[in-house]
Amino acid sequence: MISDAHAGRSYPPTEPYEVTRAKVAEFAAALGDDNPAYRGDAPIAPPTFAAVIAGQAWGALWSDDELGLELRRIVHGDQRISHRRPLRAGDLVTATPTIDKVRNRGGVDIINSSVVLSSVDGEEICTASSTFMHTRPADQQEQQ
Amino acid sequence: MTAIAAEVGSEIPVLATMVTRETLVRYAGASGDFNPIHYSDFHATALGLPGVIGHGMLTMGLALRAVTDWVQDPARVRGAFVRFTRPIPVPDDAIGAELVITGTVTKIAAGIATVALDVRHGSEKVLGMATAEVDIS
Repeated sequence: MISDAHAGRSYPPTEPYEVTRAKVAEFAAALGDDNPAYRGDAPIAPPTFAAVIAGQAWGALWSDDELGLELRRIVHGDQRISHRRPLRAGDLVTATPTIDKVRNRGGVDIINSSVVLSSVDGEEICTASSTFMHTRPADQQEQQ
Repeated sequence: MTAIAAEVGSEIPVLATMVTRETLVRYAGASGDFNPIHYSDFHATALGLPGVIGHGMLTMGLALRAVTDWVQDPARVRGAFVRFTRPIPVPDDAIGAELVITGTVTKIAAGIATVALDVRHGSEKVLGMATAEVDIS
């Protein structure tokens, strides 16, 4: 079961993700956003595109058997995104997830985690910090 | 870059947008978030939801679109925070769910404006403590 003992746990960086013009344009279109910065030869990505890449890193938590998390029991509570610079088409980015803090309240695990997105050259580009609420199955509710 | 004219109390232009099932399908594909609660009433109701709900990150993305519509250059957005307080039910009809996004500058320091965002579905606030930090210098 996940507990505060897991605070500070980090996972290896994901395989590099390439930000492409086509994916940026598709993402902007999904937001109904016709901002010209997202099109052309050298587009930047919308600020929340960071979560597309961070989302792939969250998988490390869901598949860590020691934490006992079930994806279908998880609700996204809050999200922060901090950019040193925008993501750009052509960036090759890895995502490194860390568990920052865990609280257990009445059968709900409140998990603060952050994912740092860096270029393969080691430049930190942005951080996506999330709170997830995980409702424990009924038979594990008494284990605090 | 040319500085953006803003002072504490300035309001950003209102963004009203419709979220339909098509919006959710497009966002699922574009974001890679294929949680079935965002496209299947069967799966959504099995989890006790009234039906299909929108992606939280879609709502955050639309809230920030109001900010980037205002400043035009999205590179000015340095940070953002939202709390997902209420799900947005998206009916399977020709209309969808309307979101209305307003924002007010609450602070300016060192060229960074903090914009408090208010995102409503009807009369309900769907995000809590939503803010964006924007370089207006």
